[in-house]
Amino acid sequence: MSLIPSPVQDTVAPTTVSGTTDNYSSIFSLEVVAGLSLFGMLLFNIWEFGGFTSNQQLFYQEGPHGGNYKLMTAVSTLFGGKMQALFALVFGAGVILFLQKKEHPVAISNADAYIRRMIWLMAFGVFNAFILLWPGDILFHLGVMGILLFAFTRMKAKGFFIAAIICTLVYCGKQYWNYTDDKKEYKKYTAVMAVENKFKADSTSRAKKDSVDRTKDTLLLKDTLLKNKLTDSIARKNDTLTKKQAEEKEGWEGKVKGLKYDSTAIKRNNKTYRASWNKVAYKLMSRSQQKESGWLYRVGIWDFGALLFLGMALLSIGFFSSRFSSSRYLIIAVFTIIAGLALAWFRINLQNSKLEDYAKYIDKKAIPANLFSPIETILMATGYVSLVLWLLRMKIVGWLWKALASAGRLAFTNYIMQTVICTIFFYGYGFGYFGRLKQWELYFMVAEIVLVQVVFSVFWLRYYNRGPVEWLWRCLVYRKWLPNKKPSSETQHPD
Amino acid sequence: MDQHISSTITTAPVALADRIKSIDAIRGFALLGILMMNIPGFGINNDFWYPLVTGPRQGANYYTFATVFTLFEGTMRGLFSMLFGAGMVLFMLNKKDVPGGTTVAEYYYRRLLWLVFFGLVNAFVILWQGDILFYYGLCGMLLFAFRKLQPKWLLIIGLTCVAFAMIKREWNYNEFRNKRAAYTEAMQAKKEKKELSPEQQGAIAVWSNIEKNDKPDTAYSNLNLRKMRSGYGTIFTYFIPQNAGFEISYMYGDPWDMLCMMFIGMALFGWGFFSNKLKTSTYVMWLLIGYGIGIPVAWAIFDQSWMSFGSPGVYADTWRSSHGVFSELRRIPITIGHASLLMLVFRSNIVPWLMRALANVGQMAFTNYLMQSIICTFFFYGYGFGNYNKLAFHQLYYVVVAVWVFQLIFSSIWLRYFRFGPFEWVWRSLTYWKKQPMKK
Repeated sequence: MSLIPSPVQDTVAPTTVSGTTDNYSSIFSLEVVAGLSLFGMLLFNIWEFGGFTSNQQLFYQEGPHGGNYKLMTAVSTLFGGKMQALFALVFGAGVILFLQKKEHPVAISNADAYIRRMIWLMAFGVFNAFILLWPGDILFHLGVMGILLFAFTRMKAKGFFIAAIICTLVYCGKQYWNYTDDKKEYKKYTAVMAVENKFKADSTSRAKKDSVDRTKDTLLLKDTLLKNKLTDSIARKNDTLTKKQAEEKEGWEGKVKGLKYDSTAIKRNNKTYRASWNKVAYKLMSRSQQKESGWLYRVGIWDFGALLFLGMALLSIGFFSSRFSSSRYLIIAVFTIIAGLALAWFRINLQNSKLEDYAKYIDKKAIPANLFSPIETILMATGYVSLVLWLLRMKIVGWLWKALASAGRLAFTNYIMQTVICTIFFYGYGFGYFGRLKQWELYFMVAEIVLVQVVFSVFWLRYYNRGPVEWLWRCLVYRKWLPNKKPSSETQHPD
Repeated sequence: MDQHISSTITTAPVALADRIKSIDAIRGFALLGILMMNIPGFGINNDFWYPLVTGPRQGANYYTFATVFTLFEGTMRGLFSMLFGAGMVLFMLNKKDVPGGTTVAEYYYRRLLWLVFFGLVNAFVILWQGDILFYYGLCGMLLFAFRKLQPKWLLIIGLTCVAFAMIKREWNYNEFRNKRAAYTEAMQAKKEKKELSPEQQGAIAVWSNIEKNDKPDTAYSNLNLRKMRSGYGTIFTYFIPQNAGFEISYMYGDPWDMLCMMFIGMALFGWGFFSNKLKTSTYVMWLLIGYGIGIPVAWAIFDQSWMSFGSPGVYADTWRSSHGVFSELRRIPITIGHASLLMLVFRSNIVPWLMRALANVGQMAFTNYLMQSIICTFFFYGYGFGNYNKLAFHQLYYVVVAVWVFQLIFSSIWLRYFRFGPFEWVWRSLTYWKKQPMKK
């Protein structure tokens, strides 16, 4: 029982994936996609693990656009959010597969097994975020979404597609809404600035009058100057911004400042992560909490909702079982990836003008840079899936797909393992490399991890049916110690 | 809240009908009681408590405040949560899967998803910020996995939730005291005319902010008053970010408050507590234990904690542990005390007409809950009769009694002609995605 229900037969308690051969053949391609997304995600996540922070990224975005900028833009365009989307998509397909199961190792209904799985997944997510200290965790979110969407799982493919589209549109709408809020904030700021400028103008005109008065008749001078001083002090008193105005001004200025590279932040950040477990845990806690609460409530539901529904839809139409002709997969792949890249190009351009001059961007642009990013993500994810399915049909580099499928079958284990490896390598209670590697060096780190995980997965699956974390998960769900070893005829070192 | 109960009533054995009535009666009681806690939220500006906690301990306002907060705070919500847990088990018990059709589990989740939706409507459209339906819907989705556990285990899980809540509150209070300690140290240094480090200056700023937040913010209160007396559109937009904030922070930050009671309710249901199955002496015992422990603790919390609002410094210096940490030890016993008392009244048959009326209210709890929101928002908010902040604290309870009388009568009349309350009917029809029969 991995993220994708496994076809492996248990010797003691068989867990067959029910039904159609269609679903059966889906599993291999789903595992390949899972493997791909697992490593693709790391390419993007390594930024956060390794200390290539958003502040650091601003440095390259705002400076002259050199190699570093190009590299990071390429990575974020091709992988950022898209690989996580693939992961969610596979998860959604796995939901439908799981609910078609006919047998369980203990007498239990599908719904019970399913809901327990999701609750344990949430628990693993909390563990991953707060104990292993990966604030980018998505297991918690997938667990929550799995429970929320349970009521929809009986829908037909068409229903899933419509639901996916609705979620995407709501997500886009929310992006726009946030943008209009920013616009309002900017308007308030300009109003406050107008008031403040008037105060300044008044004060200069008073000073002018004062200096003119000084040149006048000496007899009356003392009185006049005294009067001038009095009006000035009264005016100054009245001419301060109200609390609300000051807040509005600060609010906007803070926002603009947040978009500027801050050289001191690097030191602060490095200090945070190169510390003991206690300190890092304390520092990251609020971030993880925010992601699991506010982010999920405002954004995550629509983001993951769209992708889970799409995954369910694609599985229902038999997309993963290579039901369509090769040329159809290729056409879909080419079309969606090109459309996705076009949207990405649009987004990056707007993003750059946003960083150049935020006020001008807010004032002049009709739509925000990220308005279509949900569509971009979903298009690219669909494109990648199609591309993989097309390549699978071409029957080239078979060893690569097998390796990816092994890693994908252990997706849950490997996902957690990535956290363990990266936190120990980068955080202070491990080797403390946080912020010490350059961007391109981080990608070598990724290659290293991919290698380790592929080798580990292939070897592990020689001896065991499921990954260690998958096995633990399964035992917890069924509240029973379940065997995991492969029959001894296959193992080289029988006990 | 559980429409299925009424649908099975005709075919059920007498014992079943009897048992269901007792549950409905308690639910009706809890539903009416919940308005006592909610009414300040509907009708009075948020700084109302300040004169109550700083003023002399006398007068109608003070006595009302003291009574409500010692005897009832959290307990009505508690009763409601317990019965929600019990109702969840009931919903699953009474139904069998039809092979190949939609499973009971799916209906259960659809039902809860609609409940979440109604909760959003209640908060964002009817404009009641204290909505609980949203949270109950989501919590119910977790309960499902535990429904078959033995009562003993349910109780243990419920108490674990209590422990979570207590640990969390203790943690927060510790942080609070640390801030106080840092402030005291910085002030000491200041007194000795030492130069303050940036940390010490920060500590002073942090604590001053806490002191300030514990006092009423006049600017904010005035703004709130003005908004609440405005039209629908103004309050609607005013509430959007607030509602979102509540739903995020309560659901994620403090689900224990609801979950613990739901689990305990499931356990008690399993033992037959709500179904009138226990011995009279057992109910008497729980009544005495519940009130005996709960009320003194409640008084201590009220006396020390509530009444020291506005002077956080004194509180932090006096108490090693916050009274709030023990609030579940007050809430749970009193809730069980209330439930036992009701069961005793119910089986003694002293006031059968009242119990019948309460059972009617309880049978259409969902309708009555939403109706409380509708009535109170219209009575208090600017787009209705605009009575917001116009009544004294104790006068709010006249409104409560009026709503009670209305709901008792309305429910009894309605159920004479119809099988479900109107909103129950809508909810049920949506859950089964089919128009349900309504007339008797």
